[in-house]
Amino acid sequence: MILKRQSLIQDLGLIPLIIMFWNYCKTTLRNIRRDKFYAAINIIGLSVGLAAFIFILLFVKDELTYDRYNEKHSRIHRIEADFHIAGKHEKFAIVPIPMGPAFKLEFPEVETFVRLYNAGNSLIRYQEKESYEDEFYFADSTIFDVFTHKFILGSAKNALTEPFTIVITERIAKKYFGDSNPMGEMIKTGSGNSYKITAVIDNMPLNSHLSYDALISAASTAHEAGVEEFNSMEPVRFWNIGVYTYILLHENSSMQSIHDKFPAFYDKYMKEIGDTFNASFDLLSTPLCETHFSSELGADRPSGNMAYVYVFSAVALFIILIAAINYMNMATARSARRSREVGMRKVVGANRSQLITQFLSESILMSLLAMVIAIVLVYVLLPDFNSLSGKSLSFGLLSQPEILIVLLGIAIIVGFVSGSYPAFYLSSFQPVYAIKGSTARGSGRSKGSLRRTLVVIQFFIAIVLIIATIVVKSQLDYLKNKDLGFRKENVVVLELQDSAFRSKVEPFKEELLKNPNVIGVTNSTGVPGRINWLQIMYVEGEEGMKENALILAQTDYDFIDVMGMEIMQGRNFDKNMGTDQEEAVIINEAGIKELGWIDNPIGKKIHHGFDLDGTGGRMLKVIGIVKDFNFISLHNRIEPIILFISEVPRFFLSIRIEEGNRRATLDFIEEKWNDFGAKRPFDHIFLDQSLDEMYQAEEKLGVIFRIATILTIFIALLGLLGLSSFIAEQRTKEIGVRKILGASTGHVVWLLFKEFITLIIFAFIIAVPFSWWRLDIWINDTFIYHDTIKWVSFAIAGILALAIGIITISFHVLRVASANPVDSIKYE
Amino acid sequence: MIKTENLTKIFRTDEVETTALNKISFRVQPGEFIAIMGPSGCGKSTLLNILGLLDNHTAGEYYFLDMEVSKFSEKQKAKLRKENIGFVFQNFNLIDELTVFENVELPLIYLGYGSRERKRRVEMVLEQMQITHRKKHFPVQLSGGQQQRVAVARAIVAEPKLILADEPTGNLDSAHGEEVMNLIEWLHKNGTTVIIVTHSQRDAEYSQRIVRLFDGQIITENIKEHIL
Repeated sequence: MILKRQSLIQDLGLIPLIIMFWNYCKTTLRNIRRDKFYAAINIIGLSVGLAAFIFILLFVKDELTYDRYNEKHSRIHRIEADFHIAGKHEKFAIVPIPMGPAFKLEFPEVETFVRLYNAGNSLIRYQEKESYEDEFYFADSTIFDVFTHKFILGSAKNALTEPFTIVITERIAKKYFGDSNPMGEMIKTGSGNSYKITAVIDNMPLNSHLSYDALISAASTAHEAGVEEFNSMEPVRFWNIGVYTYILLHENSSMQSIHDKFPAFYDKYMKEIGDTFNASFDLLSTPLCETHFSSELGADRPSGNMAYVYVFSAVALFIILIAAINYMNMATARSARRSREVGMRKVVGANRSQLITQFLSESILMSLLAMVIAIVLVYVLLPDFNSLSGKSLSFGLLSQPEILIVLLGIAIIVGFVSGSYPAFYLSSFQPVYAIKGSTARGSGRSKGSLRRTLVVIQFFIAIVLIIATIVVKSQLDYLKNKDLGFRKENVVVLELQDSAFRSKVEPFKEELLKNPNVIGVTNSTGVPGRINWLQIMYVEGEEGMKENALILAQTDYDFIDVMGMEIMQGRNFDKNMGTDQEEAVIINEAGIKELGWIDNPIGKKIHHGFDLDGTGGRMLKVIGIVKDFNFISLHNRIEPIILFISEVPRFFLSIRIEEGNRRATLDFIEEKWNDFGAKRPFDHIFLDQSLDEMYQAEEKLGVIFRIATILTIFIALLGLLGLSSFIAEQRTKEIGVRKILGASTGHVVWLLFKEFITLIIFAFIIAVPFSWWRLDIWINDTFIYHDTIKWVSFAIAGILALAIGIITISFHVLRVASANPVDSIKYE
Repeated sequence: MIKTENLTKIFRTDEVETTALNKISFRVQPGEFIAIMGPSGCGKSTLLNILGLLDNHTAGEYYFLDMEVSKFSEKQKAKLRKENIGFVFQNFNLIDELTVFENVELPLIYLGYGSRERKRRVEMVLEQMQITHRKKHFPVQLSGGQQQRVAVARAIVAEPKLILADEPTGNLDSAHGEEVMNLIEWLHKNGTTVIIVTHSQRDAEYSQRIVRLFDGQIITENIKEHIL
């Protein structure tokens, strides 16, 4: 019986197979042991490369699976707005409040809808505990029919149907109630209304584009947010921008059919008012799973950037490629050493395919080993990666079967690709020559041309990344230092959210100005970086008054002085001119260009704030031209803007203070803030900081490039170190001969350096135009105002690559070049 | 041309001290042809390396062209070497990556000759060695005898006063070996001083004087004419 089974296995050839495989494992391990230096370089390089790859894989997977946790995600769409006003498009991620219910009414495709409306930064109280929350949303009770939530306490049924009910997340429950049961408890908002907790849901997953902490029943809005009649379908309400709206389609219904029918909807609900303003409206929509990458919509949630997903994926491939090249390089370089083994195996009967299998299994085993180390690295470095990328990926993700399969697949592919050249190359050696340790094929010169190509590729990648790093950095510096048309330094910005406090803004200003360290104070509807109020007005033209949509900011008399802006023509606002309060307006240079007022702008008229029938409002006259200033980020062109005196106190208070004594000045402002009865904590931000935040995406890109560059260079240098050691060793005899014939050490050093330097310079020459081309596209697409790419960036990258290359190889070169030639020539 | 007094070379490893050359004293006159013989490990090659300024001796004096070179720096020795000494090795020591022409040209490059002069001299010596037709080939494409002819060409291209040959026929068959020895004899007849290290009595017969080494010491010095 046993005999029979054994013969069966033998018949299948299993025993020889297993023995052979074991044999390969043994030679692999022995080779690692024998060539510790090379093995270490290979495995470290590959592990680091794979670890970087895993991080990027997790990152990309996370980015690409946003909102997919929703069971009905394929049927959910966010509807969005595209207003055309006087020839301008204004796109928003939010739509007028009645649009959701009207859609449900008009389109049979719509199963249900949900609207979300941010409750603002509100003070939440429960007994003694109080805190500001800014991720509380009003929501229709249908939200649980649309989005998937797990209920910890309570249920979806009737959770948000009644006014003054609220559903909170686990986080908020913990925060206000600790371990006690919050169900049925009442919490108070800043307005004094109390809300009954009807359910507790799981915290929002991090890869959701929405991130609410609590949901307040939409039925409460009339009382709380001042958004009366959330369900009113009055025509004028279709022209007020308002709420995030998601619609859930019936199975087998398509969004396209709604788009097709939308013109009729427009005619029915919106056309009449639209025509009076010379305005119209287009419906936009985004499938739920793509909202994370939606771009260029006003009022959108912070979103991801598809470009970064591409950039990161490319970087991951680069890094893996470089690590694989290292393996390939080392293996071919070591081929002479291994050739004796190849020869002997051939002599004792191995055929070529067995040798190919051997070398491939060897490299695949090596890359599997590297993968294991990489996973350990990922485990150790995950917290750092999370803080860097702003994600909270968990190590558990790696245990998902599809990720495991990808990782295993990558290890095998990398092993196969990097092992294939040595496998096919080494196995082709003629046994007679192989035993002698020489490949004896062709002339000496063609040898190593593949190796040289690979080194060029590595350095090409490294240099491109260095250049990218420098260019991204210099663009960031440019953004931070560009003259913006105002002075952003030393301006403290406060938000006056409370109307009672707002009404005391004039005496508050006067009080602050008593401190010599307070240079100026101004109250306005916007501050640079946060000015986006677009309104329709009538503007004086050649043929009388005509509609136009202009961005505006309402300010007080001090705005231009406090911000440090410059009047180019005409005059600033003046308190002593009685009429300025009513009719003065200041426009920027871009404005007079667009309106065709360049020759004679002063005294031109703008009619603002009129009613639907065109009456009422204020007739403004231009009194001055302000030099263009970047009131939104440098990603965008400076648009026309008008400034005029506000009739009522406004939201922002900007305080210019002296550079010195900042701390004391801030303490003083805070003291006055409290004295004046502000019911809110002293939340302040410096204008320059808030402006810098607009470039966070680029900042992050910069950090990622830096890290990717360092990793790439590290892996490439490991390869160079190994290769130079090998080449130095291989050329020992030649160097000995040259020295005997009279070559100086300096000459020999140069000879060895020359080989590598030529490669690095060659890589540099192809990297320069490539990166110039690529970065020029990026910089022009991303920024209206940008730095030119300077040749210095390229020079620095070239010198850097050359310098670190030389330092790396000099270790071996110097050793070999200074060796005694007698020892060298005895080498054979 | 060469004079040594009590030339001694000791190799030290951690535990063992080996005396490779033990108080060697001998002279070589300009234009002489000397063969150094002896069993393996007797110190022949060590002696040749020291005479060729490739290695340092441990004790004693070494006069090359009437200069005591013991105290010379590496740089000075390198200069002396490239201007006065040509080498021929058993394993040829040609550079695989360079062509025949380039291999022969090397010493002239290190001596700082201009390219036209280099070309003239290399062409001339390749002509003398009868391998002009192979000048664009790489060493691996040549037979052993041809490789050694290239090596000889390289050794003489700078017209050195002294040729040192370490077993120049050791890797060649007898026909090629004879060819190379005839070349070396021809060099000697043209006035070059030649010292060869050899195992072969037949090669040694070409010389005027045979120095026999045993365990680092000279045991006999025969002037060939005297034997005959």
